[in-house]
Amino acid sequence: MKEFRIDREPRGSVQLIRLTGSLDMYSFPRLEAQLNALFQQGQYYVVLDCRELDYVGSAGLGALIGFAKQAREHSGDVRLLNVPERIHKIIELLGFTKVLKVHSTEEDAVASFEAK
Amino acid sequence: MDLPENIRRKESTGKLHLQTPGHGSYLAYIRAIVGDLARKIGFDEHEVAKIEMAVDEACSNVVKHAYSLDKKWCWQHRDPEIRLDIRREGDRLVIEINDHGQRFDFANYRPTDIEDRLRQMKRGGYGLFIMRNFMDEVQYNSNDQTGNTLRMVKCLKKP
Repeated sequence: MKEFRIDREPRGSVQLIRLTGSLDMYSFPRLEAQLNALFQQGQYYVVLDCRELDYVGSAGLGALIGFAKQAREHSGDVRLLNVPERIHKIIELLGFTKVLKVHSTEEDAVASFEAK
Repeated sequence: MDLPENIRRKESTGKLHLQTPGHGSYLAYIRAIVGDLARKIGFDEHEVAKIEMAVDEACSNVVKHAYSLDKKWCWQHRDPEIRLDIRREGDRLVIEINDHGQRFDFANYRPTDIEDRLRQMKRGGYGLFIMRNFMDEVQYNSNDQTGNTLRMVKCLKKP
Protein backbone atom coordinates (compact mmCIF):
# COMPACT_ATOMS: atom_id res chain seq x y z
CA MET A 1 0.00 0.00 0.00
CA LYS A 2 1.29 3.41 -0.95
CA GLU A 3 1.59 6.09 1.71
CA PHE A 4 -0.69 9.07 0.98
CA ARG A 5 1.37 11.94 -0.33
CA ILE A 6 0.71 15.40 -1.74
CA ASP A 7 3.39 17.04 -3.90
CA ARG A 8 2.81 20.53 -5.25
CA GLU A 9 4.51 21.75 -8.43
CA PRO A 10 3.33 25.19 -9.57
CA ARG A 11 3.09 25.68 -13.35
CA GLY A 12 2.84 29.44 -13.73
CA SER A 13 -0.52 30.47 -12.32
CA VAL A 14 -1.69 26.84 -12.19
CA GLN A 15 -1.10 24.74 -9.08
CA LEU A 16 -0.28 21.18 -10.11
CA ILE A 17 -0.73 18.78 -7.20
CA ARG A 18 0.40 15.20 -7.51
CA LEU A 19 -1.49 12.76 -5.31
CA THR A 20 -0.13 9.37 -4.27
CA GLY A 21 -1.90 6.58 -2.37
CA SER A 22 -5.51 6.57 -1.20
CA LEU A 23 -7.82 9.55 -0.89
CA ASP A 24 -10.25 8.34 1.76
CA MET A 25 -11.95 9.79 4.85
CA TYR A 26 -8.67 9.43 6.76
CA SER A 27 -6.38 11.14 4.26
CA PHE A 28 -8.64 13.73 2.64
CA PRO A 29 -8.33 16.31 5.48
CA ARG A 30 -4.66 16.68 4.44
CA LEU A 31 -5.69 17.58 0.89
CA GLU A 32 -8.43 19.79 2.28
CA ALA A 33 -5.85 21.72 4.33
CA GLN A 34 -3.61 22.10 1.26
CA LEU A 35 -6.46 23.38 -0.94
CA ASN A 36 -7.74 25.72 1.78
CA ALA A 37 -4.24 27.18 2.08
CA LEU A 38 -4.06 27.73 -1.71
CA PHE A 39 -7.49 29.35 -1.82
CA GLN A 40 -6.53 31.68 1.01
CA GLN A 41 -3.64 32.83 -1.16
CA GLY A 42 -6.06 33.45 -4.05
CA GLN A 43 -4.80 30.41 -6.01
CA TYR A 44 -7.92 29.00 -7.63
CA TYR A 45 -6.41 27.23 -10.69
CA VAL A 46 -5.76 23.72 -9.46
CA VAL A 47 -4.91 20.50 -11.31
CA LEU A 48 -4.79 17.26 -9.34
CA ASP A 49 -2.58 14.63 -10.96
CA CYS A 50 -4.11 11.29 -9.94
CA ARG A 51 -1.68 8.95 -11.77
CA GLU A 52 -0.36 7.47 -8.51
CA LEU A 53 -3.72 7.45 -6.76
CA ASP A 54 -5.05 3.97 -6.03
CA TYR A 55 -8.36 4.80 -4.36
CA VAL A 56 -10.85 7.65 -3.99
CA GLY A 57 -13.78 7.36 -1.59
CA SER A 58 -16.90 9.48 -1.42
CA ALA A 59 -15.36 11.70 1.28
CA GLY A 60 -12.56 12.56 -1.15
CA LEU A 61 -14.86 12.96 -4.14
CA GLY A 62 -17.29 15.10 -2.17
CA ALA A 63 -14.46 17.32 -0.97
CA LEU A 64 -13.19 17.70 -4.54
CA ILE A 65 -16.51 18.86 -5.93
CA GLY A 66 -16.89 21.20 -2.95
CA PHE A 67 -13.51 22.75 -3.73
CA ALA A 68 -14.28 22.87 -7.46
CA LYS A 69 -17.49 24.77 -6.67
CA GLN A 70 -15.60 27.18 -4.42
CA ALA A 71 -12.89 27.73 -7.07
CA ARG A 72 -15.48 28.33 -9.81
CA GLU A 73 -17.01 31.07 -7.71
CA HIS A 74 -13.63 32.80 -8.14
CA SER A 75 -13.36 31.99 -11.87
CA GLY A 76 -11.04 29.07 -11.16
CA ASP A 77 -11.51 25.30 -10.95
CA VAL A 78 -10.18 22.05 -9.54
CA ARG A 79 -9.50 19.68 -12.43
CA LEU A 80 -8.33 16.10 -12.55
CA LEU A 81 -5.46 14.69 -14.56
CA ASN A 82 -4.33 11.12 -15.36
CA VAL A 83 -7.16 9.41 -13.50
CA PRO A 84 -6.39 5.64 -13.44
CA GLU A 85 -8.93 3.60 -15.42
CA ARG A 86 -10.11 1.70 -12.32
CA ILE A 87 -10.99 4.97 -10.55
CA HIS A 88 -12.30 6.67 -13.69
CA LYS A 89 -14.85 3.89 -14.29
CA ILE A 90 -16.17 4.28 -10.75
CA ILE A 91 -16.41 8.07 -10.73
CA GLU A 92 -18.00 8.03 -14.18
CA LEU A 93 -20.57 5.48 -13.03
CA LEU A 94 -21.44 7.66 -10.03
CA GLY A 95 -21.76 10.77 -12.19
CA PHE A 96 -18.84 12.74 -10.73
CA THR A 97 -17.29 13.20 -14.18
CA LYS A 98 -20.35 15.29 -15.15
CA VAL A 99 -19.22 17.81 -12.56
CA LEU A 100 -15.44 17.47 -12.43
CA LYS A 101 -13.36 18.13 -15.53
CA VAL A 102 -10.90 15.36 -16.34
CA HIS A 103 -7.81 15.74 -18.55
CA SER A 104 -5.46 13.11 -19.91
CA THR A 105 -2.31 15.22 -20.41
CA GLU A 106 -0.62 17.76 -18.18
CA GLU A 107 -0.30 20.15 -21.13
CA ASP A 108 -4.06 20.09 -21.75
CA ALA A 109 -4.90 20.50 -18.10
CA VAL A 110 -2.56 23.47 -17.60
CA ALA A 111 -3.50 25.04 -20.96
CA SER A 112 -7.21 24.77 -20.10
CA PHE A 113 -6.61 27.48 -17.49
CA GLU A 114 -4.26 29.57 -19.61
CA ALA A 115 -6.96 29.78 -22.26
CA LYS A 116 -9.27 31.51 -19.81
CA MET B 1 0.57 -7.95 3.03
CA ASP B 2 2.02 -7.15 6.47
CA LEU B 3 -0.76 -6.17 8.85
CA PRO B 4 -0.46 -4.04 11.99
CA GLU B 5 -0.55 -6.13 15.17
CA ASN B 6 -3.93 -4.77 16.22
CA ILE B 7 -5.69 -6.14 13.14
CA ARG B 8 -6.91 -9.64 13.88
CA ARG B 9 -7.58 -11.88 10.91
CA LYS B 10 -8.91 -15.42 10.81
CA GLU B 11 -9.40 -17.11 7.50
CA SER B 12 -10.75 -20.50 6.50
CA THR B 13 -12.08 -21.75 3.16
CA GLY B 14 -14.18 -18.95 1.69
CA LYS B 15 -14.59 -17.27 5.11
CA LEU B 16 -12.78 -14.37 6.67
CA HIS B 17 -13.13 -12.71 10.05
CA LEU B 18 -11.42 -9.39 10.47
CA GLN B 19 -11.27 -7.20 13.54
CA THR B 20 -9.71 -3.75 13.44
CA PRO B 21 -9.70 -0.66 15.64
CA GLY B 22 -12.51 1.72 14.63
CA HIS B 23 -10.14 4.33 13.27
CA GLY B 24 -9.74 5.75 9.77
CA SER B 25 -6.10 4.71 9.55
CA TYR B 26 -7.19 1.06 9.17
CA LEU B 27 -9.56 1.61 6.22
CA ALA B 28 -6.87 1.03 3.59
CA TYR B 29 -6.08 -2.40 5.11
CA ILE B 30 -9.76 -3.34 5.18
CA ARG B 31 -10.18 -2.37 1.50
CA ALA B 32 -7.08 -4.32 0.47
CA ILE B 33 -8.08 -7.48 2.38
CA VAL B 34 -11.70 -7.43 1.16
CA GLY B 35 -10.56 -6.71 -2.40
CA ASP B 36 -8.15 -9.67 -2.37
CA LEU B 37 -10.88 -12.01 -1.17
CA ALA B 38 -13.39 -10.76 -3.76
CA ARG B 39 -10.77 -11.31 -6.48
CA LYS B 40 -10.09 -14.86 -5.25
CA ILE B 41 -13.80 -15.62 -5.32
CA GLY B 42 -13.93 -14.61 -9.00
CA PHE B 43 -15.20 -11.02 -9.24
CA ASP B 44 -13.68 -9.00 -12.08
CA GLU B 45 -11.62 -5.91 -11.31
CA HIS B 46 -14.48 -3.44 -11.84
CA GLU B 47 -16.72 -5.37 -9.44
CA VAL B 48 -13.83 -5.65 -6.95
CA ALA B 49 -13.48 -1.86 -7.08
CA LYS B 50 -17.20 -1.46 -6.33
CA ILE B 51 -17.06 -3.93 -3.43
CA GLU B 52 -14.02 -2.16 -1.96
CA MET B 53 -15.78 1.18 -2.20
CA ALA B 54 -19.03 -0.07 -0.64
CA VAL B 55 -17.10 -1.62 2.27
CA ASP B 56 -15.01 1.54 2.65
CA GLU B 57 -18.15 3.70 2.80
CA ALA B 58 -19.70 1.40 5.42
CA CYS B 59 -16.56 1.34 7.58
CA SER B 60 -16.04 5.09 7.15
CA ASN B 61 -19.56 5.61 8.50
CA VAL B 62 -18.71 3.50 11.53
CA VAL B 63 -15.61 5.60 12.23
CA LYS B 64 -17.26 8.92 11.45
CA HIS B 65 -20.73 8.40 12.91
CA ALA B 66 -21.03 5.27 15.09
CA TYR B 67 -17.77 5.99 16.94
CA SER B 68 -17.98 9.75 16.63
CA LEU B 69 -16.44 11.34 19.70
CA ASP B 70 -19.23 13.90 19.97
CA LYS B 71 -21.95 11.26 20.37
CA LYS B 72 -22.85 9.21 23.38
CA TRP B 73 -22.25 5.58 22.60
CA CYS B 74 -24.99 3.11 23.30
CA TRP B 75 -22.52 0.43 24.36
CA GLN B 76 -19.70 2.19 26.10
CA HIS B 77 -18.35 -0.95 27.73
CA ARG B 78 -17.15 -2.24 24.37
CA ASP B 79 -13.92 -1.38 22.62
CA PRO B 80 -14.41 0.75 19.55
CA GLU B 81 -13.75 -1.91 16.97
CA ILE B 82 -14.97 -2.82 13.53
CA ARG B 83 -15.65 -6.51 12.99
CA LEU B 84 -16.08 -7.86 9.49
CA ASP B 85 -17.33 -11.31 8.60
CA ILE B 86 -16.95 -12.07 4.94
CA ARG B 87 -17.99 -15.35 3.37
CA ARG B 88 -19.03 -16.96 0.15
CA GLU B 89 -22.50 -18.46 0.04
CA GLY B 90 -22.84 -20.15 -3.33
CA ASP B 91 -22.56 -17.40 -5.92
CA ARG B 92 -22.94 -14.64 -3.33
CA LEU B 93 -20.35 -12.73 -1.37
CA VAL B 94 -21.80 -11.84 2.04
CA ILE B 95 -20.14 -9.07 4.05
CA GLU B 96 -21.26 -8.25 7.60
CA ILE B 97 -19.81 -5.19 9.27
CA ASN B 98 -20.40 -4.93 12.98
CA ASP B 99 -19.80 -2.11 15.45
CA HIS B 100 -20.85 -1.25 18.98
CA GLY B 101 -21.23 2.48 18.57
CA GLN B 102 -24.08 4.87 18.03
CA ARG B 103 -26.90 3.23 16.08
CA PHE B 104 -28.04 4.63 12.77
CA ASP B 105 -31.70 5.15 11.90
CA PHE B 106 -31.34 3.21 8.68
CA ALA B 107 -35.07 2.53 8.16
CA ASN B 108 -35.99 6.21 8.18
CA TYR B 109 -32.96 7.57 6.39
CA ARG B 110 -33.91 8.94 2.98
CA PRO B 111 -30.84 10.03 1.05
CA THR B 112 -31.47 12.83 -1.40
CA ASP B 113 -31.14 12.09 -5.07
CA ILE B 114 -27.48 11.83 -6.13
CA GLU B 115 -28.14 13.75 -9.37
CA ASP B 116 -29.43 16.67 -7.29
CA ARG B 117 -26.49 16.51 -4.92
CA LEU B 118 -24.04 16.48 -7.82
CA ARG B 119 -25.83 19.30 -9.63
CA GLN B 120 -25.60 21.39 -6.47
CA MET B 121 -22.00 20.20 -5.96
CA LYS B 122 -22.70 19.05 -2.42
CA ARG B 123 -19.75 17.74 -0.43
CA GLY B 124 -21.40 14.83 1.33
CA GLY B 125 -24.28 12.39 1.47
CA TYR B 126 -23.05 9.89 -1.15
CA GLY B 127 -22.08 6.93 1.05
CA LEU B 128 -25.35 5.08 1.37
CA PHE B 129 -26.18 5.68 -2.29
CA ILE B 130 -22.86 4.06 -3.21
CA MET B 131 -23.49 1.04 -0.97
CA ARG B 132 -26.99 0.51 -2.32
CA ASN B 133 -25.90 0.90 -5.93
CA PHE B 134 -22.70 -1.11 -5.83
CA MET B 135 -24.05 -4.04 -3.82
CA ASP B 136 -27.08 -6.25 -4.54
CA GLU B 137 -28.46 -6.20 -0.99
CA VAL B 138 -27.88 -3.82 1.92
CA GLN B 139 -29.54 -4.39 5.31
CA TYR B 140 -28.94 -2.90 8.72
CA ASN B 141 -29.78 -4.41 12.07
CA SER B 142 -29.19 -3.01 15.52
CA ASN B 143 -29.78 -4.43 18.98
CA ASP B 144 -28.31 -4.10 22.45
CA GLN B 145 -26.78 -7.59 22.48
CA THR B 146 -25.05 -7.74 19.11
CA GLY B 147 -24.57 -4.05 18.32
CA ASN B 148 -25.04 -2.67 14.82
CA THR B 149 -24.59 -4.91 11.81
CA LEU B 150 -24.64 -3.82 8.20
CA ARG B 151 -25.05 -6.78 5.87
CA MET B 152 -24.18 -6.37 2.22
CA VAL B 153 -24.43 -9.01 -0.48
CA LYS B 154 -22.85 -9.06 -3.91
CA CYS B 155 -23.80 -11.71 -6.43
CA LEU B 156 -21.20 -13.21 -8.76
CA LYS B 157 -23.90 -13.54 -11.38
CA LYS B 158 -26.57 -10.86 -11.57
CA PRO B 159 -29.82 -12.02 -9.96
